[in-house]
Amino acid sequence: MKPVPWQTGEICGPESAKSLTKADVLKRDLKMCKKPLLIVGSQAFTIKHGKGDMIDYAIALSNAGKIDVIATGGAIKEFVERGFDRAKTMGAMEVAYHLQNPEWVGPFKKGPYDMIMIYGIPYYMEWTLLSAVMNFGTHLTAIALDRYFQPHAKWSFPNMKEKQYHVILDEILELVGGSK
Amino acid sequence: MKKKAYFKADEADTGLGKFKGLEVHIGTIVDDDWDEPMGPTPMPNPTGLRSWDHKLLSRYQPSYMPYCQVCCLCTFGKCDLSGDKKGACGIDIKGQQARIVLAAANIGCSAHLAHARHMVDYLIEENGPRTELIQGPGTEIHAPVARLVTGMRPRTLEDASIILNYCETQLAHTLSATHTGQEGSWLDFESKVLHVGMIDQLSMEIADLAQISTLGFPQADPDAPLVESGMGLMDTNKAIILTIGHNIIPAASITDYITEKHLGDQAEVGGMCCTAWDITRRDPKAKVIGPISWQLRFIRSGKADVVVVDEQCVRTDVVSEAKKVKAPVISTSDKAVFGLPDRSDDPIDDVVKELVSGKIDGCYISDHSMVGEIATRVALELKPKRRKMKFFPTKKQIQKLAEDCKKCSECIRACPNDQPVMEAVLAAQTGNMEPLREVYKNCIGCARCESACPNDYDLHSWMVVAAEADCKDERYMVRTGRGAIQDIEIRNVGQPIVFGEIPGVIAHVGCANYPGGGQDVHDMAEEFAKRRYIIVTSGCAAISAGHVRDENGQSIYERRSGEFDAGCVVNVGSCVSNSHIAGAAIKIAAIFAKRNLRGNYAEIADYIHNRVGAVGISWGAMSQKAASIASGFWRLGVPVIVGPHGSKYRRMLLGDPDDERAWTVYDARTGDRVVTSPAPEHLFYAAETVAEANVLTAKLVIRPNDTAKGRSIKLSHYIDIHETYYGFFPEDVWKYIRRENDIPITLKDKIMAQLKENKWKERRIIDPTLLKEQIVGGGT
Repeated sequence: MKPVPWQTGEICGPESAKSLTKADVLKRDLKMCKKPLLIVGSQAFTIKHGKGDMIDYAIALSNAGKIDVIATGGAIKEFVERGFDRAKTMGAMEVAYHLQNPEWVGPFKKGPYDMIMIYGIPYYMEWTLLSAVMNFGTHLTAIALDRYFQPHAKWSFPNMKEKQYHVILDEILELVGGSK
Repeated sequence: MKKKAYFKADEADTGLGKFKGLEVHIGTIVDDDWDEPMGPTPMPNPTGLRSWDHKLLSRYQPSYMPYCQVCCLCTFGKCDLSGDKKGACGIDIKGQQARIVLAAANIGCSAHLAHARHMVDYLIEENGPRTELIQGPGTEIHAPVARLVTGMRPRTLEDASIILNYCETQLAHTLSATHTGQEGSWLDFESKVLHVGMIDQLSMEIADLAQISTLGFPQADPDAPLVESGMGLMDTNKAIILTIGHNIIPAASITDYITEKHLGDQAEVGGMCCTAWDITRRDPKAKVIGPISWQLRFIRSGKADVVVVDEQCVRTDVVSEAKKVKAPVISTSDKAVFGLPDRSDDPIDDVVKELVSGKIDGCYISDHSMVGEIATRVALELKPKRRKMKFFPTKKQIQKLAEDCKKCSECIRACPNDQPVMEAVLAAQTGNMEPLREVYKNCIGCARCESACPNDYDLHSWMVVAAEADCKDERYMVRTGRGAIQDIEIRNVGQPIVFGEIPGVIAHVGCANYPGGGQDVHDMAEEFAKRRYIIVTSGCAAISAGHVRDENGQSIYERRSGEFDAGCVVNVGSCVSNSHIAGAAIKIAAIFAKRNLRGNYAEIADYIHNRVGAVGISWGAMSQKAASIASGFWRLGVPVIVGPHGSKYRRMLLGDPDDERAWTVYDARTGDRVVTSPAPEHLFYAAETVAEANVLTAKLVIRPNDTAKGRSIKLSHYIDIHETYYGFFPEDVWKYIRRENDIPITLKDKIMAQLKENKWKERRIIDPTLLKEQIVGGGT
């Protein structure tokens, strides 16, 4: 069944994300991508994952794939407190703006990026951010790693059950070279 | 001043001879007793300030986040605009997004403008066209927005009407631009957004000026009275009349009737949204129940014996909701009749009888003078039997009902704030009401959870029951709207604001679509008030700011002064009072810098943009009116921050701090092109969290013209707030250092290290302007 947006009113236009029901579907895109960027929102530290939370997951993902992290909405404080220094702070709306520019090198000056992985921003705000990416940042492959379906990504979890969701997150981590 | 004049005489004996049936029409009278020279753009048309708009829009580029990739506005469509496709009319997706933004701003402006028109026409009929417009003592620069935009000094209601004619013409033009096959460029759509925002600001000024002048409101009064506020303060021993909306005229007839008939010990009036502020400005015995999002919970409480609605932001299901608690609804605005029968021409006794008997659910009364008597008599008659009724389920009933929850999650999926409604219902099954109470605290009262529930649970009511004690405890004192800021207050703070020594003016305005409850507004206001920024409030945000008590039981308005000065919290009033916030910024240019205002928009906007560290925050921005209010501030060069739901306006106006060209200005003294700090960095921005909003606010008050001392003070706050909320020293401080004496002395080592790391070079402190014509000698 085709996934539907988590917030019922947030339906989209003619194009919609593909359902991320197993980690393997990302293999091809991950192999093709040269420069991914991980965007982590303010809600990440409220979402549990394994023995930690989704900030810990971001750190693991970043370490595994040598991925730059942009923390939005003040999430940077969590990274700073955990001694992680591959994260920079930007606003979600600033990120949405800059991602439309294929030459944007980002706050690390290591871009341009060709893939984003994103989670932890309030659902409707991530929805709008990804709309900017889908419509004007067409050089990017967007993977939404929240549990709830984000139709403007290329790949998104389809409002998945929590247990299964965390299993696949771990598989994705392994896919980029990390371990649980 | 331009105005039309007409007079008629049955017989006139003049030096030219005797005339019978004399009628004289005069097209224009030029009022020459004002020695301020007329500026270049009196009453500009939609392209009159296009050049200024394009300057702003080249620095602050629209960042579109389409809500929809199709256009469905004409029968060519739906047109798929995704990718690089164009619609049948030729429009692309950027143009379409800008068009939708313009449509929203037009809708917002139309609401304020129609409100102003109704108010002025009504007051002319009541008081005559020559009724004087008075902003209050110490406001010699009277109606600053009108002066700036039109070149007129509106002295009478008749003048106000002329200005509204201009506004109506402009709105017709900007609205027509959204029609199929009109404007096609996103840039020019956006320019028109700014134009209609300016028109909105002007119409708001006229609306508030008219009511301040005629209805006994505080007039530029820093000591405007403290009034009672909160659901818990409504006295159920009296008949309660609830007024909802923005237009005081019908509500005023109620308070007048109660006063005139000495019924104050038997009936009381409470308001929600801006009507609440305006009735308390007129009658401090009236009460501010709460912001717009509270209307459903108060109606459902059954406390209101009659509901009187006027216009804007009224729940469109108000009649069916009020019917559930057997409270009749009186509609008073032709803009919001709600399908009710028109009883304006019927005898009052008959109307009262039918409303009390329940024969009709409500009625439309267009004659405002009737509203006071009908509403009061109905409330008084209904009160005794209504007080015996129970409208909410008991906690036991909720527990029982909750057992049938289907666990479908539809309530959560419908909630705009993703509140754990279903988990709270499941907890209620065990008699634990605490989770429902927690949801209440963050609930914005939309009741979408109820609409989605397959069991038709009255979930919003359940939350209110769970939070019964909190509702009773909602008792606050809030300062009602003072109106304009006095010239003397501006004179006292103008220099420290322009030099940056008062670090900023922060305005909390707008609606109550908060991501996490109204306390955030209070906390943000307090964070900056304690740092001696000037805090201004209006509308629903002004209510929410006052709905928090400190350890001494005082609200922010009781703790802080209402005088426009460092550390104050000044409530200007209702939505239309937002114009006084713009007016204060405009008056700084006139009083401190002695700039001419008259028809001189671009110069003054350039002055404000470069010198006045003002930031607007609308944490719960929801409406199209909020969009048009923001647009008016953008055209003045004042940045606006909205809460995360504001991202749904689907367009931000963002600067790129790394693009030096965008931050290049003229030095008015020399004509040199000079790169300045990226300040203010953005013009419109949706912040994800309070933390982000606070950090951004501290940064957005920075202006190119700050003195070294002022810049140093602003940076000290920015750094401190950044460290508090983000946990580390900001990495972009070096961009804001022009010379070493900009550096806060206690942070010198850290900043010097950052300057070195970024190969910083000293820059001049200049007299900044975006306008070539402002260069000494005219830039030629």
